[in-house]
Amino acid sequence: MRLSLSFIAALFTAAVSAVSTTGNRLLVVLEEDADKQIYSKFLGDLKSRGFDLSFESPKSESLSLFHLGERSYDHIIFFPTKMKGLGPNLTPNILVDFLNAKGNILVTLHSNVAAPTSLVSLLAELDIQLPADRTGLVVDHFNYAADNSSAKAHDVLLLPPPRPARSDVKDFFSTGAGEDDVLAFPRGVGATLGASALLNPVVRAPETAYSYNPKDQVGALTADDLFAAGTQLSLVSAFQARNSARLTLVGAAEMLQDTWFDAEVTASAGGKKKTINREFAKRLSGWTFQELGVLRTNWIEHRLDEPEDPRNNETNPKIYRIKNNVKYTISLSEYSWDSWTAFTVPDNDDIQLEFTMLSPYHRVPLSWDTTRSSDSAAAYTAYFRLPDQHGIFNFRLNYKRPFLSNIDEKNTVSVRHIAHNEWPRSFVISGAWPWIAGVAVTVAGWLAFCLVWMYSAPAKKGVKGEKKTQ
Amino acid sequence: MAPKRNAAAAAASSAPATTTSSTPTTANTATSKSPSPSTAAAASTTPAPTAAPTSTRGSATQTQAWDKIVGNVFSHYLSTTPQRTKLIDAFMAFLVAVGALQFAYCVLAGNYPFNAFLSGFAATVGQFVLTASLRIQTTEANKSDFPSVNPERAFADYVVCSLILHFFCVNFIN
Amino acid sequence: MSAADPLQVIASAGKGESTRSVLRVIILALIAGAAVSSRLFSVIRFESIIHEFDPWFNFRATKYLVANGFYNFWDWFDDRTWHPLGRVTGGTLYPGLMVTSGVIYHALRALTIPVDIRNICVLLAPGFSGLTAIAAYLLTNEMTPSPSAGLLAALFMGIAPGYISRSVAGSYDNEAIAIFLLVFTFYLWIKALKQGSMLWGALCALFYGYMVASWGGYAFITCLLPLHSFVLICMGRYSTRLYVAYTTWYALGTLASMQIPFVGFLPVKTSEHMPALGIFGFLQLLAFLDYVRSAIPSRQFQTFLWLFAGTAFGVGLLGLVIATSMGFIAPWSGRFYSLWDTGYAKIHIPIIASVSEHQPTAWPAFFFDLQMLIWLFPVGVYLLFQELADEHVFIVVYALFGSYFAGVMVRLMLTLTPVVCVAAAIAMSNLLDTYLTTKSPAAPDALSDKDADGKKAGKAGLKSTSKPVVGIYASWAKSVIVSSFAVYLLLFVLHCTWVTSNAYSSPSVVLASRLPDGSQHIIDDYREAYQWLRQNTREDAKIMSWWDYGYQIGGMADRPTLVDNNTWNNTHIATVGKAMASSEEASYPIMRQHEVDYVLVVFGGLLGYSGDDINKFLWMVRIAEGIWPDEVKERAFFTPRGEYRVDGEATETMKNSLMYKMSYYNYQNLFPPGQAVDRMRGVRLPEVGPQLSHLEEAFTSENWIIRIYKVKDLDNLGRDHASAVAFDRGIKKKKPVKKKGPRVLRVE
Repeated sequence: MRLSLSFIAALFTAAVSAVSTTGNRLLVVLEEDADKQIYSKFLGDLKSRGFDLSFESPKSESLSLFHLGERSYDHIIFFPTKMKGLGPNLTPNILVDFLNAKGNILVTLHSNVAAPTSLVSLLAELDIQLPADRTGLVVDHFNYAADNSSAKAHDVLLLPPPRPARSDVKDFFSTGAGEDDVLAFPRGVGATLGASALLNPVVRAPETAYSYNPKDQVGALTADDLFAAGTQLSLVSAFQARNSARLTLVGAAEMLQDTWFDAEVTASAGGKKKTINREFAKRLSGWTFQELGVLRTNWIEHRLDEPEDPRNNETNPKIYRIKNNVKYTISLSEYSWDSWTAFTVPDNDDIQLEFTMLSPYHRVPLSWDTTRSSDSAAAYTAYFRLPDQHGIFNFRLNYKRPFLSNIDEKNTVSVRHIAHNEWPRSFVISGAWPWIAGVAVTVAGWLAFCLVWMYSAPAKKGVKGEKKTQ
Repeated sequence: MAPKRNAAAAAASSAPATTTSSTPTTANTATSKSPSPSTAAAASTTPAPTAAPTSTRGSATQTQAWDKIVGNVFSHYLSTTPQRTKLIDAFMAFLVAVGALQFAYCVLAGNYPFNAFLSGFAATVGQFVLTASLRIQTTEANKSDFPSVNPERAFADYVVCSLILHFFCVNFIN
Repeated sequence: MSAADPLQVIASAGKGESTRSVLRVIILALIAGAAVSSRLFSVIRFESIIHEFDPWFNFRATKYLVANGFYNFWDWFDDRTWHPLGRVTGGTLYPGLMVTSGVIYHALRALTIPVDIRNICVLLAPGFSGLTAIAAYLLTNEMTPSPSAGLLAALFMGIAPGYISRSVAGSYDNEAIAIFLLVFTFYLWIKALKQGSMLWGALCALFYGYMVASWGGYAFITCLLPLHSFVLICMGRYSTRLYVAYTTWYALGTLASMQIPFVGFLPVKTSEHMPALGIFGFLQLLAFLDYVRSAIPSRQFQTFLWLFAGTAFGVGLLGLVIATSMGFIAPWSGRFYSLWDTGYAKIHIPIIASVSEHQPTAWPAFFFDLQMLIWLFPVGVYLLFQELADEHVFIVVYALFGSYFAGVMVRLMLTLTPVVCVAAAIAMSNLLDTYLTTKSPAAPDALSDKDADGKKAGKAGLKSTSKPVVGIYASWAKSVIVSSFAVYLLLFVLHCTWVTSNAYSSPSVVLASRLPDGSQHIIDDYREAYQWLRQNTREDAKIMSWWDYGYQIGGMADRPTLVDNNTWNNTHIATVGKAMASSEEASYPIMRQHEVDYVLVVFGGLLGYSGDDINKFLWMVRIAEGIWPDEVKERAFFTPRGEYRVDGEATETMKNSLMYKMSYYNYQNLFPPGQAVDRMRGVRLPEVGPQLSHLEEAFTSENWIIRIYKVKDLDNLGRDHASAVAFDRGIKKKKPVKKKGPRVLRVE
């Protein structure tokens, strides 16, 4: 219900202007109004993409994420605040409820400001660990920006464009970036991610980076005290809940500031480089706020694939018979900034259909069905033969990939046994002929016997009488 | 189930085996089949059945005893069987032949459509026992056993039972 | 309606044959009426409702049959039971009952009498009990020429509690019509045997086919008729009549039984049916030998031939054993083993032993169900032994067989009841016939009466001469005996009425209790809960419960269930047992895999209701242990001292089991702190109740008898449920303590 409502809302707003699939009400949590100026380009970009921004301080008493049980906002951005917690309106439980209600959250941190406890608790629930005492600083003595005040501290990291870790993952965050472009990560906090499948690092620290606490750990750092180092440090992390609500953690709020948008920096390795922070910020917020990587199932159709069967034309029947041939088609679309497009499966990846009862009986790849695809929707089809097992089965399409919203479609059908009139008749089976003949001969013999008997019966009495007289 | 059936079938088939071999010798009145000379000779040389072999005990006389049994049965049959009963016997022999054929086929070729085999075989066996019942009921000697069943009633019962049997078999063979 | 009727018959003796037969018809009609009306207590006390468990399935199946027609019913694949396996219902049930109701329904429709199918189902059992009484009359009349015996048998059959227990209004079970068919098939068999008639044999086979279509207990007939024949043969009573009756019955009856899909090839493949086949073959042999023997008068050959017959029988038996061991014939099924060895099921097949009606009978049950019949029964059997014609042998064999089985299994009391009624009626009528002649007869008169009774005049004559001429002819002695038996009969009627109204008329769906002021209080938790399920859950929400409630959930709540009373798949039941007996963490994946949405438990702690799941819990554990001996252990549910406890002393396994948690969740909140008491088991519960994390309470009925829990979905944020619940309760995750061991690194 809620899904379809938001879907209709999404369609409506999409018609008005290019915007997220789940709504355009964006809450920006800022402590001071002055901060708006620092992030003006980033916020301006959001506004131009159609978001309806409202600014609130965490101290505000009127702030409420829910109104009468429904979300008041569709998305939230948290900019760093100096508050220890975030007040009674933004407790971790409320934020979890917000995620469960399909709201999206973008969290930013800054190494100078301790992260609010509320957010730390929230992140801890998602299996994202922040350094002890809620502060930390990621430094890298090999990849840093050498042209400003941080030249000594090595705390502005210059990173290559974030490419996907695996070849079968769609690239959302670095398309269009050149090899020479860099992503600046100034004075940021690194986090470590747990093994949860819902978490994915977007930007990982270089192998030479490490995290320390500039307040406590001034001197030497032992291996035991080290929070994390190298690629285990995730600088920008993405979380997608099972209901496809998204939360992104940006370690350095500063990278979204105007100063780092399209700036020129001097890399420690030498040479001036252009930052892609603006494009990255756009893509990251676009992903978080459901403008990118959103998949939609348009329709699902399964039917018999038996031309001579009278029920062949029935769409989505509730019941099949064992060993029927069936055809399954699903239509998928992907939202990309402002429109639904046909979803294409990345190379090296497959979209698979399972036919399961307790465990899968079939797992078949779906193939592109050109006749039923259009620009805005791609149809995928699979043909297979039902197993020789009756029961209640599911057509299950479970497609969960990093950065793509989850598709988990389950269509339940019954698979029945062969009905009494669907077995081959015995006169079709040649093996049965001798016995059919046996029955026929017996019946024929019986008929003949009866005829003879009845014909001869009256005469018999005479014979009997004769015998008796004899 | 095979061995048990086997026993039944063997027992049943041994009964008409004697009758078939004896039918031809009665050819002077009934159907004319080629009589086998040996059995005819044996029949003619058999002494009167009433003579009880009291002294000829022992293993040596076993085959002779069998001869006598066959002879006794045979002559008994000849002397007491009315024409109509012979008709029944002929039909029973026919049924045994059909049943034996089916059973042999089952042993040789397997019983693949098991329902077909069952109904085919059961039709024959069922018809056989029904016919045997008819024979018993119409036999003059058993009249005292069946006070309420006269031959006409027996035949009517027989027809009804056979029809039920055929219906079940045809239904079961699908 | 009482014992006065047979008295009237005798009183009116001498008024002419036609008057007597009219009276007989009237009395039979009255008996049938009494049989029907005494079964209506439940409708009057409660309402027109289907009772217990199995009838709910039969009712549901009947509704399906009426709605979808016969062929769809035949091919019915039921996807709302045994989720996700489904059940080939059309091929795994005995359709006789449903088809009977369906035919009645359509017949009434054709007569333009619109009757709700439910009412037909409720009233089918009483209706058939009237027919059973008439069948008992017919069967008894075959045994003895005294018409009063038949009427008494009909009366006993009509109101014997042993039969009423399964045939009150609303008890819409297979037994409802099967007992009628059983008695009637026996009647036809006796008739066929006495007359040696093919037609009666064929009728017997047809009713046998109907019986096969109706009840799994048909195997009783399948074994009893061959046994009877075998006993007759062993007694040297082989006759051509036996041949005709038996072979006709077997040839047609076997074919008829194979028409039922659920039976299929069983008659030629399983050991239970082999005796019938063996006797069939043996009779062929005997008939042949008999024929040959009539041709050869020689005694020598005769013995030889008998020897031959014996060897053939032995060879046949040997062949059967070999075929069984080779796998051509299925060995005896577990249910049959449990008939011979009462301890067998408990060890090997807990699922059979767990059914209450499969327990061995307690001896008071015989008196409870049969009262005075139980001591008249041996008398009747003895009297039959005196005469011992073929049909009397049948009753004797049946009596022995039936008594044994009734002693082994409670529910087989049902098959014993008819023979008890017949034998007791014969004994009773014999007594009354002897003592109820007002004029004191001379001694030879009494003897000549006996002569007339005897089947074969010669034998009876021999007996009568050997008997001393003694008897009580004083009228006071007669009146004492007669009046005492009249009192017995009256007491019997009172007992039957009392038992019927108090013990057997409770629908068990609705519980009745008495308030302190004596008024009746109805506890309707079951229907309350099923109604809740029906109205508040998705139509395809899968309900997991112990199998006892499967049929009721299917029938009343109309929701798919995992297991039900048709216990065809032991593994599936064991899976449910395992889910109930394991901890939440272990059972959650099982429930996810089976797509369980709700879990239903029955809890009697508040009300002191004994039939609850905690009391059945050990069976769940045992059945689960049978399949997963490593994961579920019965021993772990007992304290070190071997006690099964639910209070603070319960074992950890018990306290962590899903069943325990679901039963006692939040229960302590009903009481002041520390005062929580389980009234069923009479123990005080610990102050802190169990916590649930993977399930949440969805519904609890008024008296807490039914508790329904919803299975949570996977946590949206990927946490495990325990920590999610802890978080919701406001317990923040502690900061990760410094790990001593190697860091756990995330790998992509």
